[in-house]
Parts: sequence; C-alpha cells; structure tokens
Amino acid sequence: MKIKNKQFGEIEFETNSVISFSDGILGFEEYKQFLLLSENEGSFFWLTSIDEPELVFPLFSIKLLEEECFNEEEVEPFGIVKLAKEPENVTINLKAPVFIDRSAKIGYQKIIDNEEFKVNYPLFVKN
Amino acid sequence: MLILSRKENQKIRIGNNIVINIVSLSDNSVKIGIEANKNVKIYREEIYESIINSNKEAAETIKDSIPTNINSFKLNKINKDDKKK
Repeated sequence: MKIKNKQFGEIEFETNSVISFSDGILGFEEYKQFLLLSENEGSFFWLTSIDEPELVFPLFSIKLLEEECFNEEEVEPFGIVKLAKEPENVTINLKAPVFIDRSAKIGYQKIIDNEEFKVNYPLFVKN
Repeated sequence: MLILSRKENQKIRIGNNIVINIVSLSDNSVKIGIEANKNVKIYREEIYESIINSNKEAAETIKDSIPTNINSFKLNKINKDDKKK
C-alpha cells in the first residue's frame, strides 16, 4: 500500500507493518493507524498517520536517555519530540511517552503521574 | 454545569460505574477519590491540556528542522540522582 506526504514523498508499506493506536494520540484521537518510519543512521523515528499522512509525530527512543527508565518487556518507550534548528531548543515529552510494541503492532500514549517527568525536557545539552 | 454541595466522605455517583468520594477537605484543596473501571482514563485537567498542546506543537515541527550542528552538544541523559532531589 502507499501513502504520500510532504516530508517523505511516497511511502510504500506492507499492511502488517501498521501499528494500531486504539485510543489514538492525545488530541488526535480520530487517527488510529500509524507507521513507524526511520531513516538510515538516524536516531529519530516518525510516527506517521495512515489516515492523515501529513500528520507526523517525531519520536526519539527514551532508552537512549535512560536504559532502566521503563522496564515493560517488548514495549518500547518513545518520547514525542519538538524539533528546532538550535539543539538547545529541541525538547522531548517524557511526561506522556508513546509506548510501542513492534511485534504485536500496537501503541498507546500514556501520561505518567509523576512530577519528575517533564513535558518539555531538553533533548540535548552543551558538552 | 451541574453543581452539588458535598461534605467530607460524601460521594457522587456518575452513571453506573463511577463514584467520586470527597476524601478530605482543607483550606484550599480537596482530596478526591475516584472509583472507576480501569479503562476510564483520569487526568488532572492542566496536565491533560499541556500534553495535547505539546502533541500539537510537535506535529507541526518537521524533520527538516533536525539540528545539524550538534557537535558541541550531547544527549541530555536522565540523571537518577537529579530525580530523587
């Protein structure tokens, strides 16, 4: 199957690579079917709606920030990222991670009830 | 909007499956207990709003704006000691 958007052009995918978000993403509950795209050598992922291909959430694996952060097996935690040209302005949402089970092809966004996790956590810091 | 007065330990029932309990009152806050099925999502409103806004802002950023000049930066690892403070 194929979808097309401005950021990636034409995207060809197998139906078995579709990830179902039965509750959608908060604020975007009507979109339930997504692709998890990645590019060579990139650490970012792109959660792309099949129903509305222009809807793309940049994701970053939270495991790269803290390996023991979440221990749910099979389920990978990602943070939705707000990109910016200046590294110090790029933030990741640790308060409401997107959990994806790539083998079961399901995903969900969950708010963590803990004040330590920030909505706008800086992804990069100066060396 | 329906507005009801309740005293400490009094409850409100919403439909068949949700019970709101006024656990305790103090000068400027109230502790509320909520009994509901696990599939009912319960959020503090301001946090819920902040997540929705954040999701919307993130969806408006595009991959062309990934910073390219990150040589003088490193990943901002989550520091456990910081979290305990």
